[in-house]
Amino acid sequence: MTGNLSERWQQAQAKAMEHDLLPGWYATRGRRRMLAAAGTFAVGLMWVDAAVSWSIGPSDDAARISLILLAVMFVIYMPAVTLLNIATRGVNELAERRLDERQVGERLRAIALAHRIMLGILVALVAVALAAGLARGGPGSSVPTTTVVQLSIALALTHFVLPLIVSAWRLPDPPPDDE
Amino acid sequence: MAAEDVFNRIPMLRAERGVSRKDLAAALGVHYQTIGYLERGEYSPSLYLALRIAEYFEVPVEVVFSLRSFPRLGSEAK
Repeated sequence: MTGNLSERWQQAQAKAMEHDLLPGWYATRGRRRMLAAAGTFAVGLMWVDAAVSWSIGPSDDAARISLILLAVMFVIYMPAVTLLNIATRGVNELAERRLDERQVGERLRAIALAHRIMLGILVALVAVALAAGLARGGPGSSVPTTTVVQLSIALALTHFVLPLIVSAWRLPDPPPDDE
Repeated sequence: MAAEDVFNRIPMLRAERGVSRKDLAAALGVHYQTIGYLERGEYSPSLYLALRIAEYFEVPVEVVFSLRSFPRLGSEAK
């Protein structure tokens, strides 16, 4: 039953990836890169959220700013990621057995590149945390729990969406239909 | 020629047999865009896929793929 449900979900997912939604938004490499930039900006807002929480939180102002940032992020992130998934035909989203050899190769290249970018982000994060920690009073200074949670979410989201952004950024223009 | 350029006659064979990209892709179990990327020379297939394409068109694999560009039609008759 569970297998059947999962199979049906995967089929529906594969079908959805072939359904062109707002094709004009990702028809050219330039537009796909704009969408990838929008996705990156949305994820970046999560990092800004964590930074705001760290610098002025915990406070009512920090909570208010956090809610506004989350709302803006959600409004940009959802359509951008949906369109990026359609533009890449689900290369990063579908089960591997639903992809052909070219798509599997694309996915692996995108994951490898995203992994290297993520490593850079982690190194930068450690450097910033160390510098900010020292500026705030050294090893004894504390970080609000909300900041830790928001930072964890920002990291997880970046790790999750980066391969999709890399795939969309690299994607050449697809060949025109011959029918 | 780049180190891994592989030339192919898939568009010609498709046109000759009246097969669309989507039909060929469905027969081979690949995405139709993969056929387009193959035809444009932006993707080189695995040996397995190359053999399956040749088998589909019922020709030897060297009729479909080559490491050198294929001569233009009619150029050999001159």
